[in-house]
Amino acid sequence: MIKNTLQKIYLGLIFILLYAPIITLVVLSFNNSKTRAKWGGFTGKWYVALFQNEQIMNALYTTLIIALLSALIATLIGTAAAIGIQAMRKRVRTAMMAVTNIPMLNADIVTGISLMLLFIAFRFSLGFATILMAHITFNIPYVILSVMPKLKQTNRRTYEAALDLGASPIYAFFKVVFPDILPGVFSGFLLAFTMSLDDFVITHFTKGPGVDTLSTKIYSEVRKGIKPEMYALSTLLFVSVLILLILVNVSPSSKEGSTRKYVSKKSKAARFVFRRLVPAVMAIVIIAGGFFYGSKRSVSGDNQVIVYNWGEYLDPEVITIFEEETGISVVYEEYETNEIMYPKVQSGAIAYDVVCPSDYMIQRMIENDLLAEINFDHIPNIKNIGTQYMEQSRQFDAENKYSVPYCWGTVGILYNKKMVEEPIDSWSVLWDETYKDNILMQDSVRDAFAVALKYLGYSLNSTDLDELEAAKALLIEQKPLVQAYVIDQVRDKMIGNEAAIGVIYSGEAIYTQLENPDLEYVIPKEGSNVWIDSWVIPKNAKHKENAEAFINFLCRPDIAKMNFDYITYSTPNIEARKLIEDPAIRNSTIAFPDASELERCETFQFLGDENDVLYNELWREIKSK
Amino acid sequence: MANKLIDIVNVSKSYGDNLVLDELNLYIRENEFLTLLGPSGCGKTTLLRILGGFESCDSGHIIFDGKNINNVPPNKRQLNTVFQKYALFSHMSIAENIAFGLKIKGKSKAYINDKIRYALKLVNLDGYENRTPDSLSGGQQQRIAIARAIVNEPKVLLLDEPLGALDLKLRQDMQYELIRLKNELGITFIYVTHDQEEALTMSDTIVVMNQGYIQQIGTPEDIYNEPENAFVADFIGESNILPAVMVEDKLVKILGVNFPCVDVGFGKNKPVDAVIRPEDIDLVKPEEGLLEGVVTHLIFKGVHYEMEVSANNFDWLVHSTDMVPVGTTVGIKVDPFDIQIMKKPESEDEEAVPVEE
Repeated sequence: MIKNTLQKIYLGLIFILLYAPIITLVVLSFNNSKTRAKWGGFTGKWYVALFQNEQIMNALYTTLIIALLSALIATLIGTAAAIGIQAMRKRVRTAMMAVTNIPMLNADIVTGISLMLLFIAFRFSLGFATILMAHITFNIPYVILSVMPKLKQTNRRTYEAALDLGASPIYAFFKVVFPDILPGVFSGFLLAFTMSLDDFVITHFTKGPGVDTLSTKIYSEVRKGIKPEMYALSTLLFVSVLILLILVNVSPSSKEGSTRKYVSKKSKAARFVFRRLVPAVMAIVIIAGGFFYGSKRSVSGDNQVIVYNWGEYLDPEVITIFEEETGISVVYEEYETNEIMYPKVQSGAIAYDVVCPSDYMIQRMIENDLLAEINFDHIPNIKNIGTQYMEQSRQFDAENKYSVPYCWGTVGILYNKKMVEEPIDSWSVLWDETYKDNILMQDSVRDAFAVALKYLGYSLNSTDLDELEAAKALLIEQKPLVQAYVIDQVRDKMIGNEAAIGVIYSGEAIYTQLENPDLEYVIPKEGSNVWIDSWVIPKNAKHKENAEAFINFLCRPDIAKMNFDYITYSTPNIEARKLIEDPAIRNSTIAFPDASELERCETFQFLGDENDVLYNELWREIKSK
Repeated sequence: MANKLIDIVNVSKSYGDNLVLDELNLYIRENEFLTLLGPSGCGKTTLLRILGGFESCDSGHIIFDGKNINNVPPNKRQLNTVFQKYALFSHMSIAENIAFGLKIKGKSKAYINDKIRYALKLVNLDGYENRTPDSLSGGQQQRIAIARAIVNEPKVLLLDEPLGALDLKLRQDMQYELIRLKNELGITFIYVTHDQEEALTMSDTIVVMNQGYIQQIGTPEDIYNEPENAFVADFIGESNILPAVMVEDKLVKILGVNFPCVDVGFGKNKPVDAVIRPEDIDLVKPEEGLLEGVVTHLIFKGVHYEMEVSANNFDWLVHSTDMVPVGTTVGIKVDPFDIQIMKKPESEDEEAVPVEE
């Protein structure tokens, strides 16, 4: 009796562990508040917004068409291969199976990179076709794997019996062998379909500009926080997979239940569905999809500009206006970190025309001769950019030749006025015992060290070993006080009153204040980090003049203001700032701190690979203590 | 006698280094029930598969109805096969299974339905049209496999150990069934088995094979009563095979004792093998026998008693309806015409191999 209850509890526990995350996702998809930390009431608006969001719907469509096509083609090739392998002699067969299994065990990143290199070597332009080819490639082994056991089970004599009764080899295969291996072929197809749906890494390396699948799309949103529409989409995907699984599992149980004596009507209906309906629907979807893609792709002629930007870092409306005004079509691709962007640009796999890296990364790109000098004659709107920002840019672009500032911000302390006694103005509060377990630190090397180095009065680009050791000691000392080392959860935790003090980017601070008025942001008096993301043109850009037109367009005050409204990160565009309607924001010291405050701040610089290693080593020591 | 339907001329086949058939010659007449009999690995199934078109021979010719069919694919041959494990199409109903060949030939629906009904009646499975193969017993499946083959009205039906997977009682029933079918349909049966009893029961002609060679061709009676060599003698039924010397015509020396026999023409003092069937040995009083021995084992087998008699350092296998208790001293007597004399095998290939079955 007790044993029985325990069994049930155990089973319940496992189910909770398995499904709690998904339930959370489903619940959040109905949350009226944009933040994860607060329940703002029930709403279906994200579902509506989802279907209105052209980018997401495009990504969804691309994902589905690639999954379907690659699964279908892989199923064809894989099944044929399995039949061939099955017919081989045993030793050769074992060797072949080993060879086909390797790609499955191989790390995705290796597959992804090697496919990318191959495509580049053969001068394929990365895009829809290369993703498709890559997906077919990694799907084939899964199909072979699921078809082989079925082939082994089938009696070779049934095939011979069919031949014996007068069937041609092809007729015998489709009439006799194929129905026997169909479950294997079908599960191979489903497996391939889901693998393709799931894949991020390989897609990431083989995709070209302007093509996004759901996984790459979601990932590119990481920096700005995933939109609730994505929760809605994920919920819908989960529900469809659930329904599909139920359908697949329910029908065979009635079909193969104990002894099936007579050929039932139902199985005839199922046969009709499998043989006629499913292929017909697939064919229609694929053909329609092909036309859709064909029509979409043919629009983009050579008068284009290929933009590579952070996720959620440009108002989509701006692109539409730009295309209408100039007739240049924009191919838009997103990345999630500087470190992901850099190798893609460096490899030259895709000739991007405009990229938007951060300060230290621009410096590194200049040092590695990856950037083209911008012809400022083509960018008259540069006059709208405040001179102090051009001045700041000199820290990484000494002669202001390569970059045009786009967004900027500071790093500071966000605190909850109700949880903190007196106003905060110093980093020292992060070492104050009173706030033990109420402090949130940034979980990234440079940001964490910047806090400690600045508190100690050093440069945040210090490479002096004594200074770094001192910073390290300070960070270790701080560890017991810290509630958590996090990145973008600072935002949600602070809104949800889960912590009193957090280190945060100014752009996030503005947003958190809107959600929770008790929050206050300050740049500590010891100084901090100021960061600038700027537009640059890679050396291998094919449409340099279009790129300059694009940058010039973004510097137009009304356009810069649209982007400010969309991103909420500070704009260096003085004229745009004047257009901001809300005086509270226009005069916000968070968005636009005094020049005097900025003087205490530094941008990050690229310190060279050796120092990168040093920083990482020290950070590891801190984290492992 | 009817015409030759199939002529197998000098057919050889090997897999790698393994020679399976060696220059084999054989013909099959119309309406004959011919059985290929031999231990596993003797080449009988390979020969059947060559006839069916599933394997090709390395050299030689297969002449069918006067035409060479070496290069004719299985689906174009006028013969049908019944496979060892039935090989029914499990996703089709019984009716669809039987109709398979007819549909390919483009017969009319009415014709096909008639044929299905006729074939099911023939194999005593009326009303099974809509059943699935999985729901049938082994014997029923086998009969469906036969029905599926014969509706195509082949000239020859090839059967590859079709009863191998059935239990004894069912096997015997099916043997009678097959004989009846063959008589009703008037087609040629080529039957492969390793079961000598099955072969003796059903066949018009038995071909005993071993290691790729034909050992003997003959009627069941010939094969049983006059095995040409020790292999055949050993393989067909139970027998006492004794090394012997042919002293002269009609006199053979077995275990040092002279036995009168009926065989002639072996020459004088030639070493031979003598075969004596266990049921041909008479146990008599010690003084009346040619040999004297002691009963060492006794088993009741139903129809008869099986005994072992130790005489002159040889354990004689004896079948008798009379029981003789263990330990009894008896005399052994054999009628001259019950002794079968065989030549000693000359080459290693012809050497009798021990058989498990």
